[in-house]
Amino acid sequence: MPQFLTEWKAGKIKDPVARLRYLQLKIGAGSIHAVPRRTRWKAVSLLPALACLFIPGFKASNSDDELLPPPAPHLAAVGVDVFTDVWLVEKTHDVETYSNGLQIDDRYAVSNEPRLPYPVFGRNEPNFSQSTLRAQPAGIVYHTTESDQASFEENQNRTLQRIGQEVLSFIKRNRCYHFVIDRFGQVFRIVEESDVAYHAGNSVWADSDAIYVNLNASFLGIAFETRTQPGELASANPAQIHAARVLTQMLRGKYRIHESNCVTHAQVSVNPYNMLVGYHTDWAGNFPFLEVGLNDNYTAPPASIYAFGFDYDPVFVHRTGLRLWQGLALAEDQLRTQAVAQGLRLSQYRSLLRQNYKEIITTLKAASAKEERHAT
Amino acid sequence: MQHNEKANNAALGLDVGTSRICVAQRVGEEFQFETQLNAFVTVPFSNMTESVLTKENIPHTVSGPEIMVHGNESDRFADLLNVDTRRTMTKGVLNPVEPDSLPMFRKIVGSLLDSTSEPRKLCFTVPAAPLGAEENLTYHEATLRHVLTEMGYQVKSINEGLAVIYSELESTNYTGIGISCGGGLCNVCVAYLSVPVMSFSIPKAGDYIDSNAASVTGELANRVRIAKEDSFHFNGFHSDKLLQVLNVYYDEMIQSLVQGIKQAFSNSRNLPKQKRPLPVVLSGGTALPHGFRARFEKIFNEANLPVPTSDIRMAADPLHTSAKGALVAALADL
Repeated sequence: MPQFLTEWKAGKIKDPVARLRYLQLKIGAGSIHAVPRRTRWKAVSLLPALACLFIPGFKASNSDDELLPPPAPHLAAVGVDVFTDVWLVEKTHDVETYSNGLQIDDRYAVSNEPRLPYPVFGRNEPNFSQSTLRAQPAGIVYHTTESDQASFEENQNRTLQRIGQEVLSFIKRNRCYHFVIDRFGQVFRIVEESDVAYHAGNSVWADSDAIYVNLNASFLGIAFETRTQPGELASANPAQIHAARVLTQMLRGKYRIHESNCVTHAQVSVNPYNMLVGYHTDWAGNFPFLEVGLNDNYTAPPASIYAFGFDYDPVFVHRTGLRLWQGLALAEDQLRTQAVAQGLRLSQYRSLLRQNYKEIITTLKAASAKEERHAT
Repeated sequence: MQHNEKANNAALGLDVGTSRICVAQRVGEEFQFETQLNAFVTVPFSNMTESVLTKENIPHTVSGPEIMVHGNESDRFADLLNVDTRRTMTKGVLNPVEPDSLPMFRKIVGSLLDSTSEPRKLCFTVPAAPLGAEENLTYHEATLRHVLTEMGYQVKSINEGLAVIYSELESTNYTGIGISCGGGLCNVCVAYLSVPVMSFSIPKAGDYIDSNAASVTGELANRVRIAKEDSFHFNGFHSDKLLQVLNVYYDEMIQSLVQGIKQAFSNSRNLPKQKRPLPVVLSGGTALPHGFRARFEKIFNEANLPVPTSDIRMAADPLHTSAKGALVAALADL
């Protein structure tokens, strides 16, 4: 349509919102965002071409790489915790059935050291010096088993089952996770929810109230039977995603776990020896948060960086991709802002934070040793 | 914000200004606004003070040995205590030297907006990069986005100058120059049929005038601001020294703004050749004094800008223009 006609038609629309909507439709979608200063005018002439990219089904090339499945609708409003009450419908010797369709296979269930009250550190306390004790799980960490993978085809059933059983036995022996979701989307309980699983190692996360250090006790561990292929990010199949969704729904409802505390191992893992984040890189950049019914927590800044001065290296950034990088960049910015607020150089401020972390770790180790002595 | 039953609850506009935060919603054909001062002041904690503040419904937060009074009431407390208010933002972005910037920002925004579990769109304003300087707004925008998303909103940002255009230039199909003279920055945007083609900011605005006038007169910047908002005007002679000083710094700010616009137009090779003259709209708290428009027009016309302009006018409601524009953008996006 000629431009003068567009303008004339727009002028006939009385409602300002409807007029703006019409112009944006005719001139270009997304125009309410600021356009980089040097390219703005060219952008106007490119808008019709760019608009094609938003037409459903439009493809500029025949590359299949561009075909991405649409994310499942996220019914809960972003950022608001909505808990669904899920109840146990039936429990037989081996299987628990829940009201949301979740079934948990208990054949590999095993107990471990019980979850004793664990310390969390107040976010608003100077140097995080004050800790309080909590007893319930506060979050979920998602893992990948990084185990052998047979191709997911019908004629591979026996191999897939054999590998799955071996993985489950290994995880049971080593008390690695609380739950495992196998390649057929079956949920297996491994370590009892009341006990600690050795899933998170050196790790840090924070929510709006508290900082959690070493999450074996404070967070539950769920592992997907999958493997990160070289040069690629881990992935889960639809059956696994569905299982993760109903399992997460049940656990969040049961323990009132905030969405913001449902995170991947790559987001929480740290290496205290070189003070870098991302010692483990499970689900470094491809966890299906939306499909599992959660907000995209990759954009949340990792507390390890802004609270304890951890750093990250290019290898980790390369592995994470854009999604987790946003959170890393935000944490770095936050760290810089805090340093300025304290009147310190970034390096000085980082050193102070690292000192805080080391003191917390020393305290935790001492407490753990005391508990062990007490137990014996 | 207390929501009227008849309000269009699906969308909100939020103007996040250095000096004030304003939320807009549409009720029928009307726009409604609510504003809070984007500032706070610290008073020593005592049970008595705390209970009085609670009883009087004055927004406050207890933080260890201190009580932080935030929002509109912070002005009065600062005046009573003879201190300057503390600010969550400076020069259009979150204040990097204020340690309580973010928590207080959350509190002030929280006093204007309820958390929501409904899918509601919210469009908030962000400044443009300062003219001739590197864009460094990522942290500010991402943090605002994070805070508002945490409250349950589906958020979008809009350039502040563009919000002025969406609010005021409907009659020209959102073509023209929108200027918002705020506390920390003056934001300028040029749009053509609703598409922004150039935007920038200059760091001389209300706070610049206040702090310079304060340093010359020995007053607190907060008191300068109150005097400026209560009694300053452009026309006539001021016997009061503070008002004279304000006149000088206002002039300097307008000169910088007009020179900035001239420079931006001259440097931008990508601007369209405009035959039609562009309207200019002035908005923001710093543009409120009587005579501002006339003074701006005089300096603007003397500058011989390379683009023809038609009328230069004040926005209908200068304090709420950006919030309204953000709301229009949010509603258009529904």
